[in-house]
Amino acid sequence: MSEILKVEGLSKVYKKGAKAVDEISFSVNEGEIFALIGPNGAGKTSTIRMISTLIKPTGGDAFVDGHSIVREPDKVRASITYLPDEAGAYKTMKGIDYLYFMAGLFTSDSAQAEEYVKRAVDMCGLGDRLEEKIGGYSRGMIRKLLLSRAVMTRPRLAILDEATSGLDVINALDIRKTIKRLSAEEGMSFLLSSHNMLEIEYVSDRVGIMAHGKLMVTGSIEELKSRYNAANLEEVFERVVMSDEVR
Amino acid sequence: MKLGNLLKKELKELLTVQALFSMVFTCLLLICMGQIMGSAMDEAMNNSTVNIINYDSSDFTDEMIKKLPDYGADPKIITAEPGADYSALMEENELDNLVVIPEGFGDKIVNGSESVSLDCISLINKSGMASTMSSISAASLTEAISDYVGNYIETEKIQLSEEEINLIKDPVIEVEYTASNGRTVQVTSDVLSSILMTQSLIAPMAVFFLILMASQMIMTAISTEKIDKTLETLLSAPVSRITVLVSKMIAALVVALLNAASMMIGFVFYVQGMTGSAIRAETAEAELEMGTSVTEAMAQLGMTLSAGNIVLFGLQLFLTIAIGLSLSLILGAMATDVKSVQTLTIPIMMLTMVPFFVTMFSDVNSLSPMFRTIMYIIPFTHTYTAMSNMMFGHMGLFWAGLAYQCVFFVVCMYLAVKVFTTDLLFTMNFSVDGGKKKKIGVK
Repeated sequence: MSEILKVEGLSKVYKKGAKAVDEISFSVNEGEIFALIGPNGAGKTSTIRMISTLIKPTGGDAFVDGHSIVREPDKVRASITYLPDEAGAYKTMKGIDYLYFMAGLFTSDSAQAEEYVKRAVDMCGLGDRLEEKIGGYSRGMIRKLLLSRAVMTRPRLAILDEATSGLDVINALDIRKTIKRLSAEEGMSFLLSSHNMLEIEYVSDRVGIMAHGKLMVTGSIEELKSRYNAANLEEVFERVVMSDEVR
Repeated sequence: MKLGNLLKKELKELLTVQALFSMVFTCLLLICMGQIMGSAMDEAMNNSTVNIINYDSSDFTDEMIKKLPDYGADPKIITAEPGADYSALMEENELDNLVVIPEGFGDKIVNGSESVSLDCISLINKSGMASTMSSISAASLTEAISDYVGNYIETEKIQLSEEEINLIKDPVIEVEYTASNGRTVQVTSDVLSSILMTQSLIAPMAVFFLILMASQMIMTAISTEKIDKTLETLLSAPVSRITVLVSKMIAALVVALLNAASMMIGFVFYVQGMTGSAIRAETAEAELEMGTSVTEAMAQLGMTLSAGNIVLFGLQLFLTIAIGLSLSLILGAMATDVKSVQTLTIPIMMLTMVPFFVTMFSDVNSLSPMFRTIMYIIPFTHTYTAMSNMMFGHMGLFWAGLAYQCVFFVVCMYLAVKVFTTDLLFTMNFSVDGGKKKKIGVK
């Protein structure tokens, strides 16, 4: 299985000297759902922002579909989509117009853009509500719109930060199913970040646990449960994060 | 009780440190501006001497000049050959007014029964309220002469003829001239000053609105993207940050131009409605007296802008807005919430407002060296003074201002691009939290 994302010794030190990410390395395979989990301030969002080319690493590199995030950020952006935590959409736009606007940033071919939008419309399930302004949408509707926007272009890697945060059970389940389906049926790769252990256990193929900027451990859910003699991912998380090594 | 509780909470939310800072700052600013403008006007009044060229050698005129201080005028005597170029003479000696007493003036008063003429020349070399100073000073001198002559006729001539009685009422006729740009034309400077005042109000007002609108628009555009968290989505799409930056700047510029245009159309009609009739009446009277149009007189004095000047002004206006936009981009990128946006607009407002009011009421060059330097450091000052500089031939000042603005723009744009294309866009934050926490720092 080929690697879609390869992270090599990635580091981020902010100006105040805080080491947000400390030489982490991991990879995400084609069609794989990889989740980064960790307590607040562990460095998950900084890692995701670096891979999304929003901020520059101070050390190391990462390669998306073979393109360096440091040297070829434009090519990386063409291969990924990013859904930030608590992301919003332009409130004065109609849902459908937002999809066309975003599609227009990924392609100049109108037929291609039309296809992207059709795919997003089918996926988001918002129906006629897409003709309404986003300002009137509920949080769940916005998240569905944004998720469909994130996958409509069939990116090589979709990066989702807290994809279901703040959503009710039904909406969250709907989004999890969509992620699993896209991975299984279309071979799309996902890099997720979440605090919800149940969600991660349900959707992820492999997990990386971060603490204090370091990637403490990576592996499949079953591997980790077995290694840490835990009944579920939550217990694995607790044992890794509370270990002497981390403290 | 409930109302009190709610009121306490509302006041606590509204009376934040930035709100109090804004109040105190505005108050101090107005006090400071009043001081600057007041001292500039006082200085202009104090430094504004009244000047006389006396071609008359009669005892009456000598005596009159000696006695003029008793009538509220203390003229400085200027010597010049008959037929001298008054405009050049005034420029050379830095005189802003000149009253010429013709040969035979005294004899006509003592022996005659007709009004005598005096040539009153006012130099206009600046716009705004400062332009009226020269004519005010000249008027005070002719009034003093008129009073002296009227008093002489009344006291010295025991038996007054009917003509002499009429003469007491209006003994001296002022023939008003205006000098500017090395030329002298027979036109009352009051009319020109009024027109210049209107012009000096409308053009800077347009500049003022344009800078404010464009700046606020771009600041809102950037900060809203940050606050609504749409910026990260946008910048992770396959589009360069420079393209995003340029599209935002152009959009803000277009909307600001439309806004400023609509506002200015309304404002022009407002000004015309308020002052138009008075100026028109004064202009018509002046045109009747001199037998030529005021527009023609202004053209003769070189007080009109050429097509080249207008193009240069347009260029400078564009540069000014670009400076406003780039500064606002930097400030907008720091915003973390609505309150911080409000606070961050204050510097732009101050930089726009201070030179606007100062240039409207006084001539920057007449300010004290410290205030003059402060004013010239503010890049927008050069746009407010551009039209006046071009109109009065101070092209050195104009080019220096334009060059400074170019440098300022390059620096601001470099910083804006730096902020927009680096981590600073996400890490540089300015937040004001209920007046308790205030920081500029890295997240």
